[in-house]
Amino acid sequence: MSLFWVMIPQLAEIQEQMASSKKVIMREEWEKRLNHIRIRKEDMNKLVMNFLVTEGYAEAVAKFRMETGTEPDMDVAMIMDRMAVKEAVQCGNVEDAIEKVNDLNPEILDTNPELFFHLQQQRLIELIRNEKIEEALEFAQEELAPRGEENQSFLEELERTVSLLVFKDVSNCPVRELLDISQRLKTANEVNAAILTSQSHEKDPKLHSLLKMLIWAQNQLDEKATYPRIKDFLKATLENPAV
Amino acid sequence: MPSATVNKPRPSELLSRLTSAEPEVKVRALREVKNQIIGNRTKKLSFLKLGAVPAVAGILADSIDDVTENNNCNNTNNFLVQSAAALGSFACGFDAGVQAVLDAGAFPNLLRLLANPNEKVVDAVARALRMIYQSKLAPKYDFLQQKNMEFLISLLNSEKETVSGLGASIISRSCETNLEQKALFDAGILRKLNSLLEGGSLSLRDASLESLATVFRNNPEVISKFAGPEIGRPLSSIIDLAKDRYPRTRLLACMCLIVIRNASPHFLQDIGIKTKLIHILLELLDDPGQVGDEAPFAFSSLIAQKEDLQKLALEANAIDKFHHHIKKGSLHPRRYEGILLALADMCSKLESCRSKFLSLQVLNLVADALTDYNAGVRAAACICLKSVTRSIKNLSAGYFMNETIVIPLVQLFLDPSTSVQVAALGATSNIVVDFTTRKSIFVQCGGMKQLVQLAKSMESSVRSNALWALKNFVFQADNRLKEGVFSELTASLLSSLIRDPEPSVQEQALALVRNLVDGCINLIEFVFAEDGLILGAIGRQLQCASKAEIGIQGMYALCNVASGNEFHREAVMQLLFTQMGDKNQSFVVKFLQSNDSQLRTATVWTIVNLTCPSSPGAPCRLEKLRNAGIVSQIKNMVNDPCVDVKLRVRTVLGQSMAFGDN
Repeated sequence: MSLFWVMIPQLAEIQEQMASSKKVIMREEWEKRLNHIRIRKEDMNKLVMNFLVTEGYAEAVAKFRMETGTEPDMDVAMIMDRMAVKEAVQCGNVEDAIEKVNDLNPEILDTNPELFFHLQQQRLIELIRNEKIEEALEFAQEELAPRGEENQSFLEELERTVSLLVFKDVSNCPVRELLDISQRLKTANEVNAAILTSQSHEKDPKLHSLLKMLIWAQNQLDEKATYPRIKDFLKATLENPAV
Repeated sequence: MPSATVNKPRPSELLSRLTSAEPEVKVRALREVKNQIIGNRTKKLSFLKLGAVPAVAGILADSIDDVTENNNCNNTNNFLVQSAAALGSFACGFDAGVQAVLDAGAFPNLLRLLANPNEKVVDAVARALRMIYQSKLAPKYDFLQQKNMEFLISLLNSEKETVSGLGASIISRSCETNLEQKALFDAGILRKLNSLLEGGSLSLRDASLESLATVFRNNPEVISKFAGPEIGRPLSSIIDLAKDRYPRTRLLACMCLIVIRNASPHFLQDIGIKTKLIHILLELLDDPGQVGDEAPFAFSSLIAQKEDLQKLALEANAIDKFHHHIKKGSLHPRRYEGILLALADMCSKLESCRSKFLSLQVLNLVADALTDYNAGVRAAACICLKSVTRSIKNLSAGYFMNETIVIPLVQLFLDPSTSVQVAALGATSNIVVDFTTRKSIFVQCGGMKQLVQLAKSMESSVRSNALWALKNFVFQADNRLKEGVFSELTASLLSSLIRDPEPSVQEQALALVRNLVDGCINLIEFVFAEDGLILGAIGRQLQCASKAEIGIQGMYALCNVASGNEFHREAVMQLLFTQMGDKNQSFVVKFLQSNDSQLRTATVWTIVNLTCPSSPGAPCRLEKLRNAGIVSQIKNMVNDPCVDVKLRVRTVLGQSMAFGDN
């Protein structure tokens, strides 16, 4: 017992030493430094606009432009075209989506075999979902099998998809995630990104990159200092550094 | 409601609707064809076979007429857009489609439509034309004609990216000669491309990089004019793009810089840029797509034939990285081929690279590639082997003469692809120079017989490479082996190969004889077989030798024959003199006067053997040589610039003096 009481102050000292091997910056100091940095309102507006444009919120883009005067880096009409495609996929109207993409720019599907395959795969999934089994098999044979012949990974994906037909209880089969709405979203996002790239626009909003940068920078700094970090990005509050 | 695929019209049905009188039916069918073929190579092929392309091209042509007659504008534009898009899709990455579009006469119509007022029409047309220009089958663009150059400039100056991109594609495809490159430079095109580099969008930047590389290729003058006065600045924009965030841009920028480096000794030579290029290209290997497939080819163009770069790449662990990628397996054939060729270039000159290669056990993976289903990969594996087997250290240790390599390699002698055969023969030629006595493995797996078969091939490159391999195979081999080769070959085949129409084949055949008769005196009998067929062939071939190399090998063959007995020496003498015909000069004098020092050396050596003092017939032969003016020719060569020649000349003169000559 007495040994315990001897150890405590020793431990406290060690901890203090460990804590002090990293530089410590207190909240007040930190906030003072932060206040020196100027961020312009226009820049923040641009970031928001860029987010809205990339994600495709056409109405929000128009409204935000009206309210702030920030110019979108893309025509609203183009955004709406792109959104029509994305929504078609999300509703399962893949054929319609394909026609719309081809009206926008026929090169996209002609030069993106992976995207084209995923769209065709989604068509097959929708046919299976609606229990149009014969049509599904015909479609798989006529449209998808040749793609599988051209590419090994496509073949594997095709086999996974066709295996949906084998299971009586699809909700429990190993490939059930293919029937999930999230699969539609995945395909929709892929199309969205491809259209943006074809228009020489970045496929990720800049806000995304900024957040990634923040996380990375904090991780790097964690190794060298104790400082008020942001733990919850939604709240963006500074947590007091542990001492 | 989810889409259904019910009641899809058959392709032939769709095609007949294309010629319908009702515009509604026609345009719907057109759109349907377009949507079916986009992204779908199989459909493109089947529609092509049904004659869809002329039908669509016809709609395009009719719609142009409608435009000129100012008929229903919206409808016409729709027809134009859809038909142009369909034609563009047929041409996209599909040579048969490109050919069909050109054959259908759509090309001039598409060009005319670039001036159409409707934006969507122009976009569709520009895209279609760009697809055509991405193919080798595209019509050649004549830059040297003034109005063509003006048209090109107008394309590049367009606000529309699809159109300026087309301009860049035309340059990338059609610019070939130095004259065209200069014409483009003079017209200010390079400045324009450079501004597209700095201000344009992603795809435009990439297109400009490709075009710039095309204009710079093998043209140091254009490069220095472009980069010269503002030293560093135009080049620096390209160098910056080599660090761009998009992999394709990085690759294209590197390729452009490599073109500049290779053409011009003044630019991009410092070690910093060399190291940077190597690192960027090695890192691009990690890209899973087409960029990663093409990166090793760019790497090869950077290091090929350049030892300093190979050394730097070795230090940057290039071989380890390539090994790592091949080990992963299931590579795209293009990527596999590229990596194997890059390894071949790395190991082509430096023993340090070969040691690294062998220590990492890459050899086994390359041996696997010999049986790959893709011909390009098989050929590349052979080329890689050829480089690695230049390692004399390992060759002497018999490292390569084992079943894992020899058996698949010999199988490739029967490969359907000629380039694979030739590549396999190249690798074999090195491997059979085995300084141990393990050549029997090669005979056991039928390799030697195969080589003889290939020496009868219709392809001259296969014949000459097979002979090359045989020549190396019998190099300093034991008598039994040589006799085996000779009996398989037969005197008549060998003599006909000596008289082959192709000089390269003649050369290798003569070299083979040289190696066969070298050494034991019994082997010299080969050339006398079947009434001296081979000896006669050598004589006739030397009389009309079309290049020095043939003379060299032939003379060394004779030299070796003359190292035998008196009978052999007399036979050689007869050969040297009976071929004179109405020429006063024997070819011997011609060879002695040749500019090629090796030829002079070989000829003098032969004379040395013919006039060897220990042989009884030597004085008589010397007299004959003197009478033919050969001895005085040799006397003139006392101070020959080549040391080998000089020494042998002195030997001859010394020998002749032993017979009382002054």
